[in-house]
Amino acid sequence: MGHYRLLEHTADMGLEAWGQSREELFVQAALALRAVMMGAARVESRRSISLDVEGFDDAELLVNWLAEVLFHFECRRFVPAGFILEFSAEGLHAQVQGEDFDPDRHTVEREVKAVTHHQVLVEQTPQGWHGRVYLDL
Amino acid sequence: MSVRIEQIDACRWRIPREGEMRTEGLVFADQAMIQVLRKEQALEQVRNVATLPGIVGRSIAMPDIHWGYGFPIGGVAAFDPEQDGVVSPGGVGYDINCGVRLLRSDLEVSEVRPRLKELADALFRNVPSGVGSHRRDLKLSTAETARVLKEGARWAVRNGFGRAEDLDHIEEQGTLPGADPEVVSDRAIERGRDQLGTLGSGNHFLEVQLVEEIADEQAAATLGLFAGQITVSIHTGSRGLGYQVCDDSIRVMLRAAAKYGISLADRQLCCAPLSSPEGRQYLAAMAGAANFAFANRQLITHWVRETFEQVLGKGPAQLRMGLIYDVCHNIAKWEEHQVQGQKRRLCVHRKGATRAFPPHHPDTPALYRAIGQPVLIPGDMGRYSYVLVGTAGAFQETFGSTCHGAGRVLSRHAAKKQARGQNTEAELAARGILIRAASRATVAEEIPEAYKDVKDVVSIVAQAGIGRIVARLRPLAVIKG
Repeated sequence: MGHYRLLEHTADMGLEAWGQSREELFVQAALALRAVMMGAARVESRRSISLDVEGFDDAELLVNWLAEVLFHFECRRFVPAGFILEFSAEGLHAQVQGEDFDPDRHTVEREVKAVTHHQVLVEQTPQGWHGRVYLDL
Repeated sequence: MSVRIEQIDACRWRIPREGEMRTEGLVFADQAMIQVLRKEQALEQVRNVATLPGIVGRSIAMPDIHWGYGFPIGGVAAFDPEQDGVVSPGGVGYDINCGVRLLRSDLEVSEVRPRLKELADALFRNVPSGVGSHRRDLKLSTAETARVLKEGARWAVRNGFGRAEDLDHIEEQGTLPGADPEVVSDRAIERGRDQLGTLGSGNHFLEVQLVEEIADEQAAATLGLFAGQITVSIHTGSRGLGYQVCDDSIRVMLRAAAKYGISLADRQLCCAPLSSPEGRQYLAAMAGAANFAFANRQLITHWVRETFEQVLGKGPAQLRMGLIYDVCHNIAKWEEHQVQGQKRRLCVHRKGATRAFPPHHPDTPALYRAIGQPVLIPGDMGRYSYVLVGTAGAFQETFGSTCHGAGRVLSRHAAKKQARGQNTEAELAARGILIRAASRATVAEEIPEAYKDVKDVVSIVAQAGIGRIVARLRPLAVIKG
């Protein structure tokens, strides 16, 4: 079972996520990002978008993946609920279920400016996959 | 890994050159600040910046230094294109040209106090703050957005948002040269277009203030400041457009660093030679985002003036709300500096630092040339902010730079925990400070205790001679995102 936790940083905030697979790690990291932005909001699966992300290694791919989710939240007002990920040699393809931001049901807790590359980490351990990124708030 | 640091005097510390470092580090701080800094990674970041190619002089950190990404916040570093010097988006930060401006007025506190609540409510209504907010009466086409990127505050003034004389009182007259909208991605334009004229959230704010104390009568008089006067500060940047320009550029720079054989202590330090296509492209995109930020602060200024006129029922001639100055916090700029007696054209990165040019410098507005460039140092929403002027000392030692704020001491989680059980808004209201905020979470994370006492920071600046204190301002009404 994957999970995540938020990391303290003096000026900003980080997130750490785990998964049995690389897919699960990436899904948990995206859920952690949503938690930073919106807290414990209830999000429904009303429509789906597809995203393609590239990166020269897993660490860059994780940063770019979260940046993509952030862009669709900020610009297209799309709030993610669930993810189906498929990795390829170039990167990943995602089907993201979710809904449009609804100010009556959703709140924004924080503005995330960006997903940074500072001390970014993706590693496979005997216990599964582990990742870490810091966010600029 | 711990960083070796040696005390030079009461406010200066040296990080000696070792390992991959090309120069030494210089940190402005007192003993207590250094103890705190040893617990986080900011000193390592000063050291990491010193490893970058073409760095000239020292890798410098201001007394508001804290842990950033790649470069520390409060970091200053200059690079020489003639010596393979680099430009790094991480040395500017995501919020390109985040900065602060200060407006003066002819109002005294007694005239505003009775209408303060109404004023705070109207400012909160008229200046969009918080995620997703924007003015419905401002819609920009892609072509018009490109003009904003090219012209900055000049675009705003040309379109009726402010006065021509405002431009004389903005760093770079509100337009950073060399902006090329063509190199700004469609995604950056999309992300920023609806956000022009918005405050944003987090540590950004709009503040009605009172001039509480004058430390330098002559400089204050030159700036048009007097005790008991009402001023307004606006602290915001390039919003999503700048964040996206930085994000896009970092992807390019990660590859460029590998291409040019630059070894990186941290990926976020990724960079390219100033003379390379990647370096030039970043500077052109960065200038566009910087201009967006200048225009952003200019639009907000216009709405602040309108709001004061509406609420107080006075005209512009009675209010005399002039712009004192507007400074950049996160920027890389071409500047001329003397290095070991030689004049050199350098690219100075200031990430969470303010330019602080001395008296008689040609880039200081004519009106202020005798006293030095105004430097605006916001504190936190419960205490005070400062107005300083630049000094010859800063020009000699820090490439004409000084600090940019108080600097956080508590993480957001720790601040929120401390704020639990206390009603920050009521407590501040009892002390005569009204808060209007789009999000309660922001107020909790931005409690005054989350920041260093800015008095301690500016006192090191003054003691080190890299800035001169002119006045202290106290908040009366704070608008937060």
